[in-house]
Amino acid sequence: MTVTFQLNGEDCRFDGDPMTPLVDILRHERFLTGTKAVCREGFCGACTVHVDDEAVPSCLKPVGLVQGCAVTTIEGMSSGNQALHPLQVSFEAADAVQCGMCFPGMVMSLSAFVRDNPHASRPEIKAAMVGNICRCTGYERIVDAVAEYLDQARKAGQLVGGIHV
Amino acid sequence: MSELSATVMNLPRRDAQDKLRGRTKYTNDRIRPDMLHAVLLRSTIPAGRIRKLDVSAALRCPGVRAVATGADAPGLYGIGIADHPLLAIDTIRYHGEPIAVIAAETEKQARAALAAIVLEVEPLAPVFTMAEALQPAARLVHEGWRGYEVITEGGARAGNIVWEAKSSRGDVDAAFARPDIRVVESSFTVGRQSHVPFEPRVAIGSWEDGRAHVQTSTQVPWTVRNVTGRVMQLLPGRVRVTVPPVGGGFGLKFDASIEPITALLARMTGRTVVLENTRQEEMATCLCRENAEIRIRSAVTAEGYIAGREAVVLMDCGAYGGEQVFLTTMTAHTLGGNYRVGATRLVSRAVYTNTPPNGAFRACNGVYNTFALERHTDEICDALGFDPMEFRKKNVLGDGDLGATGQVFEADVLGPMLDRMEALRASTGTSEAKADGRLYGIATTVGTWFVFVGPSAATVNLNADGSATLVTSGVEIGSGTMVQSLPQMVAGQLGLAPDQVIVREADTDAAGLDVGVGGGRTTVSIGAASIAACAEVREKLLRTAGEMLQTRPEDLVLRDGRVEITGRPGSGMSIPTVVAHAQATTGPIIGSGAFTARNTPAMSGCAMGHFIDALDIPVFVVHEAEVAVDPDTGHVEVLAYRVVQDVGRALNPRAILGQIQGGVVQGLGYALHEEVTLTADGRIAQDDFETYRLPLVQDVVPVAADLYEGAPSMGPLGTKGAGEVPILAVGAAIGCAVARAIGKPVQRLPLTPPRVLRLLHEREPPPEFPHIAPGWAANTLG
Repeated sequence: MTVTFQLNGEDCRFDGDPMTPLVDILRHERFLTGTKAVCREGFCGACTVHVDDEAVPSCLKPVGLVQGCAVTTIEGMSSGNQALHPLQVSFEAADAVQCGMCFPGMVMSLSAFVRDNPHASRPEIKAAMVGNICRCTGYERIVDAVAEYLDQARKAGQLVGGIHV
Repeated sequence: MSELSATVMNLPRRDAQDKLRGRTKYTNDRIRPDMLHAVLLRSTIPAGRIRKLDVSAALRCPGVRAVATGADAPGLYGIGIADHPLLAIDTIRYHGEPIAVIAAETEKQARAALAAIVLEVEPLAPVFTMAEALQPAARLVHEGWRGYEVITEGGARAGNIVWEAKSSRGDVDAAFARPDIRVVESSFTVGRQSHVPFEPRVAIGSWEDGRAHVQTSTQVPWTVRNVTGRVMQLLPGRVRVTVPPVGGGFGLKFDASIEPITALLARMTGRTVVLENTRQEEMATCLCRENAEIRIRSAVTAEGYIAGREAVVLMDCGAYGGEQVFLTTMTAHTLGGNYRVGATRLVSRAVYTNTPPNGAFRACNGVYNTFALERHTDEICDALGFDPMEFRKKNVLGDGDLGATGQVFEADVLGPMLDRMEALRASTGTSEAKADGRLYGIATTVGTWFVFVGPSAATVNLNADGSATLVTSGVEIGSGTMVQSLPQMVAGQLGLAPDQVIVREADTDAAGLDVGVGGGRTTVSIGAASIAACAEVREKLLRTAGEMLQTRPEDLVLRDGRVEITGRPGSGMSIPTVVAHAQATTGPIIGSGAFTARNTPAMSGCAMGHFIDALDIPVFVVHEAEVAVDPDTGHVEVLAYRVVQDVGRALNPRAILGQIQGGVVQGLGYALHEEVTLTADGRIAQDDFETYRLPLVQDVVPVAADLYEGAPSMGPLGTKGAGEVPILAVGAAIGCAVARAIGKPVQRLPLTPPRVLRLLHEREPPPEFPHIAPGWAANTLG
């Protein structure tokens, strides 16, 4: 069966079993290895991608279900020499990264969250992170960085309709 | 600008951007379509004898290019004792043990071919527990234990006791016979902890110009090189190991495991072969922090003097000796640490069982021995009516005190650190109000750990563009040493900015011997070797500049990328000018440096079977936890956590604080909900993220930390390792705080809600150790 979808803004065609997890297509066929296959059961969040702007674990997404959808991976968040997403800037500035394997998923989950929740409190940020496991950092610096980002964005008044302008 | 002020800074990580963009290529991101995929046939029983193993049909399956069995790699490896085959040879000793491996064009083809392997096994009665293994009539997990090569001499061995380390100082019998003491005895038992690095163990092997090349996610490239050589019966120099960025290690990757298999298959096929554990395999065969059983007795006077102490520590090494052989050493320094004790004797035994082998995990045996020692200390205080804080202040190790092996500790460190904890608490306040009707407990505990020094080598090339290339066998596992402390140190030595220091990732063909990244050793050992290499670079640079400037080298300094005349900023010339001149006249400027342990002495006759008799660099911590226990559910909430950590010298305080937060949270998992159990057939029951309960964001609190600087250290610039030790005393602090909250003795970890409820309702049976004899000496091999 053939599945067609948009991948990071370009047409993508897959011929094969529509039950193939999206993560396997990303990693093994498109070599987009920024999406990490860690638990493959939807617990860790390291394989999170955006499907039509919604953050979803790509291990639990059969490719047949993204027919006609727009899929964005971590590579699509800041391609080439483009600047980092401001949330990525916040993570870097906070020295939040350690081994780094959870971060592509963190960025994908939290970039959708901050877009939709520009006024989130610290407990709300933590609630949004329950689907992303990190084994290195003990989380708090990531929470701090998200809070800092939201704070800066609010101060700058840059958030217009949830979109950076 | 002094060398130190040019080095200490909160340097950001140079690898953060690529990691955040998903561009970093970990080993398991480097799988290409032209590689063969290897899949392991693993045992589904815990113990047995292989009667038939026929792989001929598997070889004929579609896509299969090679099948290997133990006969193809007959050499044995191990730490201390060479007892471990790469693939089971004749005997199966644990559920999950690799028996054969298939390499095929695709993973699917390799998996399909597994069914074609003919395996007949005669099951043997498994030995699952240390209690069973220590029975006089127990079946031997290794019948041929006497015939194994002893790599390191000194440990007593017998049957299922793979290694025994003892320390003994002073007349313990006399201390316990004193009329003015009371004896307090405690028993503890702890389970395993699984590392769960996000990148599993994975290796890519190729055969190039008659040599193996293994690319792998490891903390120990030189161990992988040596073990691959051993099992394939090659000179280790015929193996090259390179290490891409590692997606988490935590000690799991401090030993070789599956890597040599890829080299073997690459030699057989002439192709590049990848082998990656599935998450299920990774967790089912995790070289966990070992389960352990501890009995400790102390003789304490009414004034609170610890006149005598003795302990027996049993460590389950699983089916093969591995790291536990080495780690028996650490009991003398962890259970034997923290406090001034009159006379002491400790025995630590690594015991074989038919369970998956255990290994090293951040602060290894220290985590549970610190839990045991600190809970025991609280039991002493309860029994004799001492205030736990005052008792600790009175008894913690200070300047000139003796350790269990007779090591003389330098300087008062723990005492002032306890004072600093009180100051930290005064600044943060306490969180008792947050308990909100639940049972509240607070505890302050101490811990003693070390830096695993050992050999490291470094080369520094000074380039004509003013940059320097640092070549070592160091690995970036996430702790930041390769991207923060090392470039900071080299830059500080050479008057460069840290971003001018290029750090080469580990390649055993390019850099000298290194014991590996672990044991808090990278900043200290590779750092010291790097500074030694810089000294040679500096000497050559200043000599050349001196000739060019007609100035004595001792009147020159390196600053801001220039060679300047002391006291005359802006004088002299740029480093590239000097390097270019040197290249044209005397040759490129390079320096090499080496470092190893000082081998601090123990007292004669005090340490038996130890790999390290005394600690070259002790590291101390003070941890304080506040908890609230829900009496209806048994759930423990951590309300607040505080750390005072002996760091020697903090080169990058912000990075260290990040390690403390992460290490404490791993410790909270160990203390509260990371539980590994065995099924009736000896399998690790928690082999996925649903059954193994990792700390999640809502389980954690921000750790308040104070970095204690200035304690003596042989580390470069006064440093100590700071990344390993933050997990050390978490089980202790949580265990003591929960015990105080519920008013019941805590003798086991983890403190899951069911366990806490059983404790509250006095339905949790105390640990019973019928296999530990009442008399200490009867627990030793003499």
